[in-house]
Amino acid sequence: MYGWTGKLLHVDLTSGTCERREIPTEILHAYLGGRGLGVRLMRDYFRLDPFDPQMPLIFAVGPLCGTNSPTAARLACVSRSPLTGTIYDCSAGGRFAWRLKGAGLDVVFVTGKSATPVVLAIDGDRAEILAAGEHWGKGVKETVAALKGRGSVTAIGPAGENGVLFANIMMGEGNSIGRGGLGAVMGGKLLKAVTVQGEGVTGVANRERFDAARADVMRLFRASPVIFGELGIAEYGTPALVDLMAQRRMAPTENFKSTFFALSANYSGPAIRKECGAKKEGCYGCPIQCKKASAKGEPLPEYETVNHFGALNGISDLHAIVRANTLCNELGLDTISAAATLSAFGEARGRFPDPAEVDRLLSDMAFRRGDGELLCQGSRRVAEALGKPGLSMSVKSLELPAYDPRGAYGMALAYVTSNRGGCHLRAYPISHEILRKPVPTDRFSFSGKARIIKIAEDVNAAVDSLVACKFAFFGATLEEYGELLSAVTGVEYCPESLKAIGERIYLTERFYNCANGFRMKDDLLPERFYREPGSAGEGIEIPPLDRARFQEELQKYYRIRGLSPDGTFADASFLEKLP
Amino acid sequence: MRDQIDKYIGKLLADRSAIPGAIAIAAQDDVLIAQGSPELAKLAGGTLSRLNSLALVAARPSLPFAEFLIARAGKGETFILPQDTETRTFLHDIPFLRREDLAGDPAPELARLLGSRKGVIVEGVGIIAVGAITVEQAFINYSSVFHSTFVKYLQDLLTDGFKLPGEREAFESFSKQWLKPLSAEGLEFVDAISLDKEEILHEIERVGRYTVERGLVDSFFGNISAAAGDLIYISQTAASLDELKGCIDPVPTDNSSTTGITASSELLAHRKIFEETGARVILHGHPKFAVIMSMLCDKKKECAIKDCWKECPHVRDLGGTPVVAGEIGAGGLAKRVPPVIGASGSAIVYGHGVFTLGRDGFGEAFRTMVEVENFCREEYFRQLETKA
Repeated sequence: MYGWTGKLLHVDLTSGTCERREIPTEILHAYLGGRGLGVRLMRDYFRLDPFDPQMPLIFAVGPLCGTNSPTAARLACVSRSPLTGTIYDCSAGGRFAWRLKGAGLDVVFVTGKSATPVVLAIDGDRAEILAAGEHWGKGVKETVAALKGRGSVTAIGPAGENGVLFANIMMGEGNSIGRGGLGAVMGGKLLKAVTVQGEGVTGVANRERFDAARADVMRLFRASPVIFGELGIAEYGTPALVDLMAQRRMAPTENFKSTFFALSANYSGPAIRKECGAKKEGCYGCPIQCKKASAKGEPLPEYETVNHFGALNGISDLHAIVRANTLCNELGLDTISAAATLSAFGEARGRFPDPAEVDRLLSDMAFRRGDGELLCQGSRRVAEALGKPGLSMSVKSLELPAYDPRGAYGMALAYVTSNRGGCHLRAYPISHEILRKPVPTDRFSFSGKARIIKIAEDVNAAVDSLVACKFAFFGATLEEYGELLSAVTGVEYCPESLKAIGERIYLTERFYNCANGFRMKDDLLPERFYREPGSAGEGIEIPPLDRARFQEELQKYYRIRGLSPDGTFADASFLEKLP
Repeated sequence: MRDQIDKYIGKLLADRSAIPGAIAIAAQDDVLIAQGSPELAKLAGGTLSRLNSLALVAARPSLPFAEFLIARAGKGETFILPQDTETRTFLHDIPFLRREDLAGDPAPELARLLGSRKGVIVEGVGIIAVGAITVEQAFINYSSVFHSTFVKYLQDLLTDGFKLPGEREAFESFSKQWLKPLSAEGLEFVDAISLDKEEILHEIERVGRYTVERGLVDSFFGNISAAAGDLIYISQTAASLDELKGCIDPVPTDNSSTTGITASSELLAHRKIFEETGARVILHGHPKFAVIMSMLCDKKKECAIKDCWKECPHVRDLGGTPVVAGEIGAGGLAKRVPPVIGASGSAIVYGHGVFTLGRDGFGEAFRTMVEVENFCREEYFRQLETKA
């Protein structure tokens, strides 16, 4: 078999056993890897509580991982989110995925709960569960440093150990498995870290075809101003978006009360380069190298993070923002949810936190002390507890990222149709509504957006299953990645067949969510967006969203998806018909 | 959606790439609609309904070149491989179906092919192109296939001459009727463009329209810029040159802001050209004869370089305009054009298009582009005649 290894490492932390198992080839062909494979493997478990010991925590790489396919040294982590209650996956880069594939594995499937803190150590064919006593309670940096002799490390920090609902799993290189709190799921199992060492080589079925497809991808990267343009993400990282979002009047500010922050230039891409000496870093083998690090090698914040610790909390001090980012990484907190929760808390009490208070509250969150006991539950629960539920700027309890939906109507729709809550990456309409890729669409129009969002969700589910980076698709398309996949695996794929796989994955996720009680009532944006305008300027008006038009488009989306008007499945046996 | 369909049917008529009465566009939101020629609309709808995409154009091109390419293709061949950079980069190859492949309903087979590629040529039917997320995208892909087949057919004629019955007559009809004299006559330009933002934006928008109306681009791509003090005003990536209002980015020359992340992929080339030449404006288009002629090289047989379009280090000459190789965007184009464009005010990029300068305003840049294209057109016909 080319591309895949066909092997799953089944780890039962309750019994302390590790066992290599075969993955049926037809499942690999039908779900690819990463998100799709992980979601398929959740079929018998999706109704379990996220903290049930039997709830799996799945790490899955894709068939392109281990080759020099651009941006493919990634994995997906899949489980059920304790923050949102939905099925959850997150794609992450670094070196861990590459090494995992090198160890001959497509999947690590962790179930059960250990009696004491442990580390799972994988080294080639061997896997063992080691006592982690001395690492428990330690920050991410110290844990990674202590374990680096065992290869690549992914670990939780205090936030994951203490069950913070938006705790991350941190990759040793500074990448994160973020947003939905899978760090808390890992902590609930008393699994402090996973280490992996592997030197195996991923076979490529047709090298000549692969090289041609790779050259096509690279040519499109070079043709994309967003990727390799002199103002693009290879140069400035995602903070390249700070100036653009300010100009487009859609940078969420002070808990989304406004959409323009006059001091955002303080933490723009050029400002970070100048102030922090930003240098290029990135995932293993990635030609883009969009991550940036300080001169001392400290990971620098992404766009979402600078906006949310910046404008969203009314903070303009770049160094305070960088410090908050570093603290989140060390504690294992998701930066978007942490900052957005602080913002909701700030508006509710009538005062946004200053930089010093941010630092204190982040620590309190991770260790669940003082106000942190409430804040660690995320903005929806915080706002409800404070009697102001409307102040949580979230969808399905997932805090919204740094693209105001009043400034991009496809984004508004995609926030509610996302199967993991208010996330920008499921359909990623910012790509066409703002960045004009592959072609521009009118950001202030709902026309056609239901179909566009549906198609993009299918595409991105396939991308997350390859597993490739979404940024690659600011230049390339499934045409080129389908070629890469066919060349690597020897199995023929094309854009249309990949979209069909994406649709299967997407509907499976939606089915799981519906089975757990989600329906149209949960596909909701916060009221603020229908009632309050954003910040006008430079000839741009940001009016409130038209609720009737939004609902009309949502109903179109349900029809296109084959769902009922309530957003649910008419066929209870839907899953049984899938591979 | 219907307004979009009407708009792009109008554009296909305006650019004369499709035959009136032989155009259809289908689009699907929660329902599928298809407009235009009934037979083609049925085919468009039937094909699109099988695809996870939003729109599809089915039209009979106004020139028979795509048909001729199929007829000239060897038995067993199933696709056309474009040689020009733009279509090579974005289309890769163009599959085709022969008449004999069309037993029964062709929609399933068309959907299969369009599941892998952006456009398909169907003998006796026309060009079918898909748009993944917009009607505009389907139009662009139709236009790219039209451009690509135009360029390749004319290239092939220079190499192999006429081979099929009726080919010569059709070509004569093309050269005498379809092809119109190209000039800048009747167009108005600001002689010396000021630093005033509104004047610059207005002039860029106007020149963008001229560029499309005079056929100096494929679909509507190319890019335009003007330098003004510490700013470069440049058309955005994927912007229709005939609809530039609101699609021009002001980019600081010192990169102190990244709002220009949405600027044309050729921003770097424009910046370096300004630095190198001191020009005020730059115009970049894809005029067809310049693209064709830039790919002719009498040293191909003895040259070791095979990827001429990106690797050729030589500066060749077409009527006083330098010709260089180089990939688009962050590829070699931005390195090779700036050093050579200053002397003549124009440069041709191998298989790609033409850059021209205006030292004071767009009039000079536009007229230069017209002159370059007219030279290439005349040279093409001269060489074809010589060969004949």
